[in-house]
Amino acid sequence: MNTEVANLVFNGSYLAILGAAIAALAGIGSAIGIGVAGQAASGVVAEDPKKFGQALILQALPGTQGIYGLLIAFIIMQKIGILGGAGLLDLTIPQGAYIFAASLPIGLVGIWSGMAQGRCAASAIMLISKRPEEIAKGMVYTAMVETYAVLALLISFLMVNGVQI
Amino acid sequence: MKKLSVIALETGREELMEGLMALGAVEITSQEDKLADDHWKELVALDGNQSDAAGYEAELSSVNQVLEALDRYGTEKKPLFSTRLPVKKEKFKQVLKEREEIQQKVDLILSLLHRMAEVNSAINKAEAGILSLLPWEGWDLPLENKGTIYTDVMIGVLPAGAQVDKLEQVLDEKTRGSILGHLNSDNEQHYISFIGLKEERELAEETLKLFGFTKVQFPDLTDTAAKNIEKYREKLSALQDEKAKLEEAIRAEEGEKDKLRYLYDSLVIARDRADIRNRLLVTGKTFYIEGWVPAIAAESLEKLLGEKGCYYQLEDPEKGEKTPVLLLNGKFSLPFESITRLYALPSSGGLDATPFFSLSFAVFFGLMFSDTAYGIILTLATYLVLKKFRLEGMTYRMIKMFFYCGIATIFWGVMFGGFFGDIITVVAKTFFHKDVVIPAIWFNPMEEPMTLLLFSFALGLVHIYIGMGLKAYLDIKDGRPFDAFCDIGLWYLLLTGGVIWLAGAMGGIGGPGLSAIGKWMTIVGAVGIILTGGRQKKGIGKIIGGFGSLYGVTGYLSDVLSYSRLLALGLATSVIASVVNTMGSLSGGGIKGMIIMVIVGIIGHSYNMAINALGSFVHSCRLEYVEFFGKFYIGGGEAFEPFAQNTKYIEIREDH
Repeated sequence: MNTEVANLVFNGSYLAILGAAIAALAGIGSAIGIGVAGQAASGVVAEDPKKFGQALILQALPGTQGIYGLLIAFIIMQKIGILGGAGLLDLTIPQGAYIFAASLPIGLVGIWSGMAQGRCAASAIMLISKRPEEIAKGMVYTAMVETYAVLALLISFLMVNGVQI
Repeated sequence: MKKLSVIALETGREELMEGLMALGAVEITSQEDKLADDHWKELVALDGNQSDAAGYEAELSSVNQVLEALDRYGTEKKPLFSTRLPVKKEKFKQVLKEREEIQQKVDLILSLLHRMAEVNSAINKAEAGILSLLPWEGWDLPLENKGTIYTDVMIGVLPAGAQVDKLEQVLDEKTRGSILGHLNSDNEQHYISFIGLKEERELAEETLKLFGFTKVQFPDLTDTAAKNIEKYREKLSALQDEKAKLEEAIRAEEGEKDKLRYLYDSLVIARDRADIRNRLLVTGKTFYIEGWVPAIAAESLEKLLGEKGCYYQLEDPEKGEKTPVLLLNGKFSLPFESITRLYALPSSGGLDATPFFSLSFAVFFGLMFSDTAYGIILTLATYLVLKKFRLEGMTYRMIKMFFYCGIATIFWGVMFGGFFGDIITVVAKTFFHKDVVIPAIWFNPMEEPMTLLLFSFALGLVHIYIGMGLKAYLDIKDGRPFDAFCDIGLWYLLLTGGVIWLAGAMGGIGGPGLSAIGKWMTIVGAVGIILTGGRQKKGIGKIIGGFGSLYGVTGYLSDVLSYSRLLALGLATSVIASVVNTMGSLSGGGIKGMIIMVIVGIIGHSYNMAINALGSFVHSCRLEYVEFFGKFYIGGGEAFEPFAQNTKYIEIREDH
């Protein structure tokens, strides 16, 4: 019984799938970030419904972390054969562990950068409530946070890409 | 920009101002400071006439109210973009010959609107009346009935928490002849009627008070509640009929909208003409204006001023004097002005960055959005908008900019072989069981991400070099070539040398000889920076400042690394597109699979396009603003705001 469980958990394919799952967790950050920004947006739109479009654009900005997480999860799934018809490959434990490790940057950075970017987006929405013509500046401030999610995405991608299967 | 000062005869003023307005190339500056100057104050006075301008403003607001009402009640659909109608001056004048009739229409619609407001408030009143009477609908005595010779009659409310049957019981016990009626209840209160003997009034009132009874009166109403409600309802339906008729009457005037727009714009022009007089100085027979005119418009202005027989002077601004800023760009760069404007206009002596980043903006956008199909959609959509609408100003520039970005997207899409991600491969495999791969003209970034990453860094380095070059140019122009050499030249040496050295040492590119050259370039550059970096400081600060400057190498490193987003966002577009395609193909082949593929494809690709177009735009902006502008750009100029026909609906063209 114990060895069965151990075989299930300490098994390359399982570790790789766990990696894909962790990458997808980046969506937590996006969900929180978009939520925070959405609350601010509703407040601003209550005052001036015409700002809906602008506020929506800013609200969408923290959404990218979730997409990056999805992207890495997707690439992992394709690599280990869950997607694309070949069926799940039999991975060795090191292979699975490498993929697991590769998923960590985007999974973790995605969560926190999404939250931080959400707060930034909320402030940018406050900015357009007073000065709608300055939306580009709010967008750039918000995009500054995203840089680090982009870097994490890049590292995760290069790592996953580099693992030989 | 040239500085203009004009002295002209009072008699020709209207004509001259009209000419200047039609030319639309002169910013007339405020002369407040001259009036504070004792020397000037003796000679001139301000020409301002506030009441004229205020009068036009009031008329404008009423015409605007009418136009808004026509929009609200009318049937005409609002176009996607509001554009100005080009009209010849002759036509404009001709339409305005009927000014009085148009004015009558305005008055008519205003009176309809006025009546509408009255009707609306009457409707509100009737509805409130009905609401307040509804709970008493079951009370069949007239509301004004306060009692008979021996009895008191009243109605009132108890709080929701009070127990009506208990009150009834207590009343029965304490009094001989009380009749309590429970008419109605809602969440907040119970509606109660009470009839009692006058001789027991005090006792009854005391009991009622104990249960929280509050008397309700309708002092203005006679007859029963039900009859009053009936009356209100009749009134309400009459009012609503009238409202519908009023709306109909307003809608019937929708055809006058065009003429009203002419009136509106003529009022705008009149108001601006009245307003500008606050910037005119008059002596009695002559008047004086001062302002700015762009150098390219100087010739046509001189012609105009010559015709009108004015004394004028055109001078170059003094060095360091702040002038208003007008951006002038060629056909390709013009749309990208919108990006510069979103950041900040350049300072008056500064450099307009637009022509230097237009191309790179489109290239970056294209790299991040890199998909042929998305590019085609973006290009076509913006092309159609540009064809269909006569856009002006910022909207025009933005749309045109996305048009160019779309073309760049198509280019990179073809280079990297993306068409809705990998839709052709997926469709061929799912429905026709064939392996089809569109070959990328250059390479597929999914397979060779490192190549694209290095290419992104290289692009970034070139981009940063251009920014640094512009800084050097500004330094030299300001007469500080040594600064340009120390702050830019040595860095060029260090960075270029570093790249060659690293390429040789790590990638084995260029052979040992070249690598050694790179190494020495790096060393010379670094030493130079250490020696000169602290040149503006004193004593020990000179050495610390030198090392501090060299530490700036981390800044350049992070700037270059920042361009890795070109790869990352490009991958995001293509991978999400292939996720959509894979999801669409999951239900397999056949008709059903095809339908699902189409539906999933349309939703998924629209989403991907929207989110990635936004991302590409924002990150292209960031690369320009932070990495590029940061090197040399000085913003903070005031926009050039010429005295012109700032009309809202009609663009008046000179007759030719």
